[in-house]
Amino acid sequence: VANRGEIALRVMRTCRELGIATVAVYSDIDRTAPHVRAADEAYPIGPAPAMASYLRIEPLVAIAKRTGCDAIHPGYGFLSENADFADAVAGAGLAFVGPPGRVQRALGEKTSARRLAAEAGVPVAEGTMQPLRDEAEARAVAERVGYPVLLKPAGGGGGKGMRVVRSAAELGPAWRAATGEATSAFGAPALLLERLIEHARHVEVQLLADAHGSVVWLGERDCSIQRRHQKLIEETPGPGVDESLRGALGAAAVKVASAAGYVNAGTAEFLVAPDGTFVFLEMNTRLQVEHPVTELVTGLDLVALQLRIATGEPLPFGQDGVTRRGAAIELRITAEDPFAGFLPQGGRIDLVREPSGPGIRMDSGLAAPLTVPTEYDPLLAKLIAWGPDRPTAIARARRAVRETIVAGVPTSLPFHSFVLREPDFAAGRYDTDYVSTHWSPPTRPDVREGAAVAAALAGIARLRSRPRPIVADASPWSRSAREDMLR
Amino acid sequence: MRYAVRAGDRDLAIEVTPEGRFLVGDRVLAAQVVETVPGRIWSVVIDGAAHEVAFVGADRVWIDGDEITLDIADERAVAAGRAGGRAASARQEIRAPMPGLLKRVHVIEGATVNGGDALVTLEAMKMENELRAAHAGTVAQIAVAEGTKVEGGALLIVIRSE
Repeated sequence: VANRGEIALRVMRTCRELGIATVAVYSDIDRTAPHVRAADEAYPIGPAPAMASYLRIEPLVAIAKRTGCDAIHPGYGFLSENADFADAVAGAGLAFVGPPGRVQRALGEKTSARRLAAEAGVPVAEGTMQPLRDEAEARAVAERVGYPVLLKPAGGGGGKGMRVVRSAAELGPAWRAATGEATSAFGAPALLLERLIEHARHVEVQLLADAHGSVVWLGERDCSIQRRHQKLIEETPGPGVDESLRGALGAAAVKVASAAGYVNAGTAEFLVAPDGTFVFLEMNTRLQVEHPVTELVTGLDLVALQLRIATGEPLPFGQDGVTRRGAAIELRITAEDPFAGFLPQGGRIDLVREPSGPGIRMDSGLAAPLTVPTEYDPLLAKLIAWGPDRPTAIARARRAVRETIVAGVPTSLPFHSFVLREPDFAAGRYDTDYVSTHWSPPTRPDVREGAAVAAALAGIARLRSRPRPIVADASPWSRSAREDMLR
Repeated sequence: MRYAVRAGDRDLAIEVTPEGRFLVGDRVLAAQVVETVPGRIWSVVIDGAAHEVAFVGADRVWIDGDEITLDIADERAVAAGRAGGRAASARQEIRAPMPGLLKRVHVIEGATVNGGDALVTLEAMKMENELRAAHAGTVAQIAVAEGTKVEGGALLIVIRSE
């Protein structure tokens, strides 16, 4: 398992159920991380920075070979969408749990994916079908399709480096910033430009494709609640998706996958405009962070199916065999401060209380104590709630958030607590602007007086049980004497 | 011992008598305060109403599933013009949450800022992050110049508020 954190644990859980032994790899700061403890074997892979550890293809493949692995699961992030890695794994005679390198190349570069989708008859946003040469070309395309436009790295994913450009005056600075971020994040400055669809929902379709040409879609996920173009909350079914739109999105996703010769689990991302029209954005050629919501409504284990597909087995069901029941919602618990622009936070977690109970699934990489490194993605855990309908799923999520305690680093939990009680979210009225329209400025909850008094009494009790020294080197004796004197 | 407490948006005057009874204002509370996870979680029952309190950060408290800020000043601090407890909130230190490059400083010393105003842009984790003021105040110090590489925790800006 060429990954860390909650996704490594997720993969190892299914492997354990299937009787498949697992090998973990870890960087120097991850020696005691939960994924190392969960694996059957674990080997060091290098220093903390990802470039020196989890992104090093050769040692990863070498460890897999040496330990007798049959397959490598890349998780998400890191090398999961690296075509050279997929090729290196296959070249070493191991199964890569994901699409082969040629498919990743065709879909990984965004303009190439856009061309492929357009040729398959799937709508794409108006814009460039080749990477832009320079700012002048970007300016010409923007004039043609009309502002506002979206400037984004052609090579990357995960929303990094994207810039909204609302007027010609903003294009120059945006071009320079996006080029810089694309270079530092993906090692390639190439950008593309497309017309911005305002007030759109981000809706994606989960796919499974086997090596025998069979492709099925498992339903959609609405992932519109994002910060910095990165998802915070995902749910299925999408509140704005009716049966006919669902069918159209599913058919479009299958068209793109079939045209690309897709194999394994993948996700086709779309933007849905307020009028119900949609455009294809890109294909994620890996297991998504948010795959559990689809698992909860379909009853499928996507990792188990990925493993079957990777060993060449045909899909055990066709499109008619896919059923969905109820609603599921996922909350990403990240080490980010929602009161400071979701700024990632490193630190030490010294207390964790995870939720449980009916309809709750916690895919977690949390532990206490746990040092949260700043070297990697700030995702700590995913709280997923299922219910027979959306209001029940939301009520369960709200109840589960109330049960959850993470102490030591700021997390996104206060944001989730807010959203789950917010009327527009409850009504399913939201789009990709939600965070800027509803969490700006961020608000703390207004608690009842009884709760405020309880917090105050506990705080006072804590102060009194652990008095701070009055001078730094005060002995406990003089401190308690002084406390008594002051009472 | 008397305490001036700010819990979320509420100001509370609380007294703990030598017998260990709690007074809020002039009201005596039948309160039981029991530590359930050492140093971190307390169970508080006030007149039969059960609450749970967890200390999740320096000034952040989890109370029955909600996160609020909590600031407690005892009578020594109150007497000293709240030099103790509240002084921390009068002086905001903006520190780098992680190692990075200080790309831009958006303010100058002496400038008045509002809560939420962008103060600096820190490039870290391959992203540009804006650090903002938590409360209104005056920029008292800019500790690091633009273009400097900073360590996690490095002091960047000090803001004073009334």
